[in-house]
Parts: sequence; C-alpha cells; structure tokens
Amino acid sequence: MRTFFVGAGLVALCVGCATAAGAQGWVTDARRIGLGGLGLDQGSLRRYNAAYRAVPGRAGQRGRPKLTIPIPLGLIQFFHDHPLSNIKNDPAFNHDSAGFNPVELLNTFLNPPLFLEVKKAPTPTNDVVFGIGKDSLRLNLGQTAKLVPEDQFGIGGSSRPLDAGLSIKGVRVGVMGWVHGELGFQLGDKLLGFLRDSVPAAPNTRYNIPGDAVFEAGFAPSIGYAGRIVGDSTTGLYVGGAFHYYVGLAYARVNGDGGFTTGDSIFSGPTPVKLDARGLTQYSKFGNSVGHGVGGDIGIAVVTGPIELGVGVNDIAATITWPDTRVDSALYRDSSFSKPVANHIETKTKLPVSYLVNLAYTVGKTTLGADVLNSGRGTTVHVGGEQRVGVLVLRGGVARDQRKRMEFGWGGGLRFGGLGVDLGFWTHTNSLSNQRGVTMATSLSIY
Amino acid sequence: MKAKWLGLALVSAAVVTGCGEGRAIFNVDLYSFLKGTGSDTVPYFALPGFSADTASPPRKVNLPGAGSSIVDSVRAFGTVDLVNATGSGTIGLQVYLAADSLGTYKPSALAINVPSKSVSGTNTTRDTIRVDLSAAFDSLFTKSQLWIRFGASVSNPGATTLQGKAVLASLLLTVIIKDKFF
Repeated sequence: MRTFFVGAGLVALCVGCATAAGAQGWVTDARRIGLGGLGLDQGSLRRYNAAYRAVPGRAGQRGRPKLTIPIPLGLIQFFHDHPLSNIKNDPAFNHDSAGFNPVELLNTFLNPPLFLEVKKAPTPTNDVVFGIGKDSLRLNLGQTAKLVPEDQFGIGGSSRPLDAGLSIKGVRVGVMGWVHGELGFQLGDKLLGFLRDSVPAAPNTRYNIPGDAVFEAGFAPSIGYAGRIVGDSTTGLYVGGAFHYYVGLAYARVNGDGGFTTGDSIFSGPTPVKLDARGLTQYSKFGNSVGHGVGGDIGIAVVTGPIELGVGVNDIAATITWPDTRVDSALYRDSSFSKPVANHIETKTKLPVSYLVNLAYTVGKTTLGADVLNSGRGTTVHVGGEQRVGVLVLRGGVARDQRKRMEFGWGGGLRFGGLGVDLGFWTHTNSLSNQRGVTMATSLSIY
Repeated sequence: MKAKWLGLALVSAAVVTGCGEGRAIFNVDLYSFLKGTGSDTVPYFALPGFSADTASPPRKVNLPGAGSSIVDSVRAFGTVDLVNATGSGTIGLQVYLAADSLGTYKPSALAINVPSKSVSGTNTTRDTIRVDLSAAFDSLFTKSQLWIRFGASVSNPGATTLQGKAVLASLLLTVIIKDKFF
C-alpha cells in the first residue's frame, strides 16, 4: 500500500510542479546563466534564426567558444551527500525508508544537481488540516493553497539535439535531429475547489485531472541558405531560410483522465472512494513505418553599426504524417483493462512553431541585449548585458519565465588566451515552492 | 480501501505543500460517526448507597488510515450532557478505544477518564472532555478503523435512586501526523 501512495504521490507531485519545470530552460553555459538566460552569441541565435548563419560576430565580441564544458560542482556535492555505494539504502531514494521525502526527490528531478544550489527554495511549512467526519472531508492547505494551479499547466517544446551540415557560399546542406514533447494537465473543477478553496468533498462525485502528452522524434535532411543581401559587414541585411524534410522515427500520444469518485458516503460506506483512469493512446513505435512531412525556417537579421535586430521562425507548417499508427484505449477501475481501438491508421501531428525576436546593442566593451523566445509552450523574455574589463567580463540579466515570474542572473568570467572560465548565478522557481532558489553555474570554454 | 482517502489527501497536500516541515493535522469528528446510533448515549442507574458501571455498545469508526506515518500526538475535545432524571450523585465518564470490538472491554483500552461530576434532581449538566491521549494509542490512528465505547461510573450516596443518561454532544479528535508520512 505504501508503494501505491509513494507512486501516486510522485506522479501527482510531478503534475503539480510540471509548470515549474518548464518555466525555464535547461542551460549548461555559465555565461548564458549570468545573462539571465539571454543568448547573445551567434551560436545560440542561429538555432532559432536561420539568417544568423551569415551574420558575423559583433565588434568587440571575444569570439565564439569551440567548446563549453560545464563544471559540475553540484554533482560533486550531490555524490558526496548521496554516495553511489549506498544509493540503494539512501533515504532520499528508498521509498521504504522513514526518511524518504518525495518532495526532496522531485526537487532533485526539477533541479538536476549539475550546478551548485547555493540557495535552496524553501518548501512551504504551514500545517495542512484535514477535517474528517462520517460524511465529510475537508482539506485546508492554508497559504499553500495558492500554489494549486488554476489553469492548464505542463512542460513541453521542441528541440534540435543534432544539427550537422556543410555550407558552401551560403547554401547549407545538412541533417538535424528533432524532438517534440509536451505534457499538460488541468485540475478538474471539483478537485480544484477541494484543493484550492477548501470545498468539502461531496458524495458520489468524481474528482479528476484530465491530461495529455505527446512525444515524437526523428531527423530531417535539410537544405538552406543564409546570406547578406544588402550592405556590408558593418551595416547589412541578412536573410536565411531552410527547408526540412522531416522523417519521424517514433510517435506516441496519450489523452487521459485520472481521478477518483466518492461513494454514497465519505467515510462510512464500504467503498468511500474509487480510483479510476481512462486514456486513449496513439503510437507508432520506433522501427515501425516512419512518419514524414515538410516544413521550414525563415529568419531575418539587420545589423546597423552597433545595433543588431533579428527575427526567426522555425518549423513553419511542419506537419508530420504517420501512416501506420495504432490506437488503444485503456481503463483502470479496480483493475486495468486495455483494448485496441484501431490499427494501421494514418495520424497527423504538428510541430509547434517557435520564434525568436532578438535585439543587441554593442558600444565599446559593453553589449546589451534582449530577446523574446517561444519554443512551443509559452513565451520567455530575457534582457541582459555584459561589460568587458580587460580579461574580466561582468554579466547581468533578468528574465520573465513561462510562469510569468521574474528571474535574475548575474556573473562574470575570465579569459586567458584560448581558455575561459565563467561563473553565473541564476534565480529559479523550479522547486515546489513559491520562493526562488539560486543556482551557481560554472563552465570552462575553449576558444 | 479507506486508506485510499489518506493517499489521495496526502498526495493532494503534497502536490502543493511539498510537505516541508509542516504537519498534517486530522480533525476527526468522532461524534458524527456515533450520532443517532445509540452509542452516543449511556443510560445510568444506581440504587441508593450503591455504585454502578454502565456502558454503551462499541461502535466502529472509519478513519483514513495513516499507514506507516508517525502519529505525533492525539488530543480529544468534547462535551457530554449528563441528563439526570432522579436522585443525586456523581458520574464519571470513560472512553475506551481499541482496534477491535472486544478490545474496548480491556482495561488497557481506557483512553479518556473524565473526572466525576456531581448531578442532582431533574437537571442537565454539561461536562467537558479535554485530554491528550497517551502515546500508547497513537498506533490506533494509523489504522483504517477503530472501535470506541463509552462507559459511565455512577456513585449514589443519596437516599433516592439515581437515574438518567449521559449523552455525547460533541467529540473531536485532533491527530497530528509527523512530517514524513510517505
């Protein structure tokens, strides 16, 4: 029974904090962390703006590192606290241990300990009060009820983990890997009222969480062009575009609804509550027939003296057709059932359109920048800048994450010849808390 | 099955509170389980110069069940109306708690012993219950059910028959669960 609770707890906790997880990206570069998540260098800009393949480095820019290696101080601390030799018995991971706390485990998941957590976000500490009677159950979460999400929440977006190619005179032929994943939930009205507004549980009532998830991945042979069409290297207009033929390797979608239904009475009946779940799954396994589709990227960048402005849009009209998918329905009520609904049917999916609007201003040894990024699920805004002083660089920035919370970054770096060491601090709300934590990132760059 | 309530409740709480150092406090309205069943009333009768013990039948109370959680403390609050019909004397109340019906008859099941209160004539006297339960009973509240039985010890030093009934008016248990209840 304990395993059931722990399992259910972990799942629910994941649900509860999925918003937080998706609110900020996973960045391993201490320079970018010091800028509050702002990507100032061409390397990060060309991911979303095809024109940036042609835009030269800004004057005064120290060049793009060939390699950036994160220094995992957080992992050293983590393995010091949780030795691998004793990991099976570690209370942090052993749910049979009296010291096991799923919150700590999930905070570890939400804040992978690559970097050092210099300030942990405190978890709420107020008491939770349950009112229990023969025909009543009421939950009062106190101040923490504010953390119950009212709207849909989730994580997701698209990424390109691989982008290799050859360029000749602006024309680029290559192949990119692509991944699209989304996970979304929304508390049903009844459950929302029970958790957030302390509405008493009612008999014969269903409390549920509808949710959906999609995952698809593949690769895409691409051909593109990026070049300057007007001006020179100091003032110019750059355009870029790419055409992708998407090949899908695997796809799965789940639309589900889980919850529980109260019995005739809350506590006096033989079955006070029944758990249930139902879902519809659609999938095309890896190795099955591949999906296919076409789409493209376009981008434009304007460089005029110290000012640089760009707009890039990715995965335009990227619809993937999966010619051979299977649909199953699954139901849980006391025990689980599953049955095929359809097989060998065609399914279409659509990659989210992502876009980046960026602005940079460089004067002397100072660079200021801002961007608005949407990678498929919510918009983030970053504003930051860096000041170079000899071998030293100072950085700072602010961001508005997908949860519309302000986050702050600051840091600095040293560069000696071809080697750079960077340090960045970043506030985050990737924890089960309504307060910020602070991560310290360190990385080594080879130029 | 009752344990599922706890699971759901704790999961719900954990979703938003993250447990932290906060406690889970269960306010269990025991009276709601006893009201109207007859187990909320203990008739008493004692002849002049005699003492007598009387009790209501045991009653089952469903609880969420706290599994392997650790109960920190349990406090009882309640009121009892001593509805005296005739005579005068003293009445003491006892509340027995046990994991099963028969267990409530064991002396070790005595969880609450309310000091004797004087009654006389045709009057209703309200008595209050406010006591911290012994840690020996903590484990009962981690289970999905417990049994409760009320008793009354009546002493009649007077010259007329002492008769009446003790009627439970409210009984609330506050069970405080320690942080790491998973």
